Amino acid sequence: MITNASETIASPARPNRVTLRKTLVSCTALGAALLLAIVVMSLLGSEPLPVRASLCALASFGTSTCGLSQDQFDILFQIRLPRILLAAAVGGSLATAGAGYQALLRNPLAEPYLLGISNGAAVGTMIALVFFGANEWTRPILAFTGALAATFVVYQLARGRAGATPERLILAGVIVTTFLSSVIVFVTVLMDATRIRSFTFWLLGDLSGSSRALLPVAIIIAIVGALALTLNARSLNLLMLGERDAFDLGVEVGRVRIVVFLVASLLVGSSVAASGSVGYVGLVVPHLARLSLGSDNRISIPAAALGGALFVIVADTVARTIIAPRELPVGAITALIGAPLFIYLLRRA
Amino acid sequence: MLEARNLTVKYEHRVAVADVSLSLNETEITAIIGPNGAGKSTLLRTLNGQLPRASGTVLLEGEPIERLNRRSISRKIAVVAQEAELRFPVTVLEFVLGGRFAWATHAGWGWETERDLHVAESVLRETELSELSARLMNELSGGERQRALMARALATEAPILLLDEPTANLDLSHQATLLTLVRNRCDQHRAAALVVTHDINLAAQFADNILLMKQGKTVHYGGPAEVLRPEILQEVFEIRVLVDAHPVTGGPRVTPIHEPIR
Amino acid sequence: MRARLIHFLAGFGLAVVVCFAFVGCTPRETANPAAAREITDDAGRRVSLPATVDRVVSLAPNLTEIVFAVGAGNKLVGRTTYCDYPAEAKAVAEVGDTLHPSIERIIALKPQVVLVSTASQLEVFTQQLQSQNIAVYVTDPHDLEGVFRSIGQIGEIVGTKDQANVVVQKLRERTNAVEQAVKQKQPVRVFFQVSGEPLYTAGHDSFVTDLMRRAGGASVTADVPGAWPKYSNESALAARPEAVILPTGGSMGAANASVAEALRQSPAALQGRVYKINDDHLARPGPRSVEGLEELARALHPDAFAK
Repeated sequence: MITNASETIASPARPNRVTLRKTLVSCTALGAALLLAIVVMSLLGSEPLPVRASLCALASFGTSTCGLSQDQFDILFQIRLPRILLAAAVGGSLATAGAGYQALLRNPLAEPYLLGISNGAAVGTMIALVFFGANEWTRPILAFTGALAATFVVYQLARGRAGATPERLILAGVIVTTFLSSVIVFVTVLMDATRIRSFTFWLLGDLSGSSRALLPVAIIIAIVGALALTLNARSLNLLMLGERDAFDLGVEVGRVRIVVFLVASLLVGSSVAASGSVGYVGLVVPHLARLSLGSDNRISIPAAALGGALFVIVADTVARTIIAPRELPVGAITALIGAPLFIYLLRRA
Repeated sequence: MLEARNLTVKYEHRVAVADVSLSLNETEITAIIGPNGAGKSTLLRTLNGQLPRASGTVLLEGEPIERLNRRSISRKIAVVAQEAELRFPVTVLEFVLGGRFAWATHAGWGWETERDLHVAESVLRETELSELSARLMNELSGGERQRALMARALATEAPILLLDEPTANLDLSHQATLLTLVRNRCDQHRAAALVVTHDINLAAQFADNILLMKQGKTVHYGGPAEVLRPEILQEVFEIRVLVDAHPVTGGPRVTPIHEPIR
Repeated sequence: MRARLIHFLAGFGLAVVVCFAFVGCTPRETANPAAAREITDDAGRRVSLPATVDRVVSLAPNLTEIVFAVGAGNKLVGRTTYCDYPAEAKAVAEVGDTLHPSIERIIALKPQVVLVSTASQLEVFTQQLQSQNIAVYVTDPHDLEGVFRSIGQIGEIVGTKDQANVVVQKLRERTNAVEQAVKQKQPVRVFFQVSGEPLYTAGHDSFVTDLMRRAGGASVTADVPGAWPKYSNESALAARPEAVILPTGGSMGAANASVAEALRQSPAALQGRVYKINDDHLARPGPRSVEGLEELARALHPDAFAK
């Protein structure tokens, strides 16, 4: 077909691109939704709080009690809000890490949980708990180390002559996941019976821990990690289409790979140390982001980060209210929502 | 512009390329032909710095290639591969814009400039992909995808083009179009091109120089008339050939006679 | 065609043989040839036992304590690694832990009956043991009354029924004494903290809930379904318990040594009414549970026991 020269200027191709404006609009919308979720979910919990007074207290950033009793104020600001913020940090971290792995490994199924990296972080955390129980800073540090070690092993296992094909990667991930699961079971059996119950709960994802010092760390890592990966988004766009092609087009493949692995391990390590293994977030959220906004990482990574925070906040609210005053592990809820959602996404694709 | 001197490349103890020298000059198309396993693609990949050399040098505009960083190499050398890995949905326009990466002011981040869009649109026109620019890459036919790969390479505005079997999936009309594109680039923009191909006659028609390789070694290197001689071709390909003058272009025309020599 | 028919018949025949083999191997309920009596255990199973029992294996620490308490310690031939009381128990051979005992070891010890609490994975090994003519007896006390019953039953099994009755009588006297002492007192709102982070407590079905009630306490989580539910931090804070019980020490070691974050501002914590009680006295439904009861009562109502 012969194209008319004047048509190309106003071609329909342009709107399909991801632009700065599109990114800012989407991220602002998601950010607003996140803020709304934080406010609304802090009104929900196993103990009823008066809505008006709570909103007033939140708006004043905790400087005024607005008529809430001391207990209610403590519940809102000492228990609920930190937990919601932790949920946001964990969700954002895991979704960002998932998006990073998927781009780098060119595999829409790559996810910290499925690749065994969450388990690596869990083993690291367990070692910290058993040997350095008192010092809570050892947990994220050893979790990060565990995640990095697992990443290294998976990557090495998956490399063949032809590079890390998706099939080899999933296989390597399954091997590492199951091996580390056995290690976890082994260590659990060595623990005494009273600890087993609480540890099993933690393994399934538990946001009720109240480590005051680690919350700001988790939030900072989530933000820094998302930023770091977004700043490499353009390189990741090219990497997604093949390492060789990316190399040809000027991407420093080795450097980007190291950055993504380090950042993703940091994100996974910090999440697992704080709250155990919350699965499916790194799989479902980036997928949804790419489906609705396109594969361009400049928009899908920040969108995944914000969407992941949103997802886990909601899942955790369900986990802590549905059988109140008892609680479910949040990982059970993310799996219950995530698995059918993922099946639906697979069928649409 | 791009020169290889006594290049030897080893692949897991096996010598893939042995002591090959060639030089790509402005406005010239060089074709590399030879049987499978001759080391053609390996040579191409060594020229852009991807594969490590066992010995010899590669000079890009006089500079040894290991001294240059990735982005500056990519601004000068563009590779058109045989196929693209398309595991994620991406539109043709996005795909072609990938070629502008080497010109991004902030490595790894940044947004496409007006200039980037302008270049992309013009190469889409050149490769006749303009109406398809909004379609997803994996909805295209094999031939259309090949043209998109070409468009991306052209979008880099690199003066040196390395093409690895670019006509493999193209029909006759598009084969000619693609190589005409390459020819135009070389003539109008003073580019240099290296084409690895199985199609000897295409090489005969478009190439200024031909490098004939077998088992990693240079068998002959020179103009088409020099290299495409029956005795040389018969020895390399182990098949009888007839070489005559092409009735239209006047250049050599190679016709294989299908009885293998024992 | 004929070949296929033959193959089919061969396969069918093989299947039939296999089925019969399984049927033949199914242990019948009354497999024990020396069975002289039948007792119904806490799981409603009818258990056949020989007239005299001389070799017993215990698969739970509380059951080991009961066996020794009824004077049948010399008949205990196997215990779990966690069975550490009384001191004489440590001389008995180990067969593994409560959840995964070694069936081989149990069988090698040739017991006549294996005592099991519901914490063990009953279904897994009952079949295997019964095929070796080893009876499996399940205890499942939900409250103190159930404990007294278990002591009596075990005494009957090992042939020291009279001694068992004496033990139960003494325990009842102590229990009554406690209940009398706190009868007139206002029940104290108490929170039982199994672990602080994550926060676990004793629910409606927990054995400890009964103990706390008898000790003059009103557990704030008495109505929560389940035995050991994971509890919401908010609800714990809102419950404002007047006393907090921290089971610690014993086999739990140094864990659970401090009050959960959510309870730091509770009346209990602010008034220093946080009581550490040996976990073994509370978690093992056995003779020492009455000690746990006494310790609970003394913590909750110190004025009722002032000497």
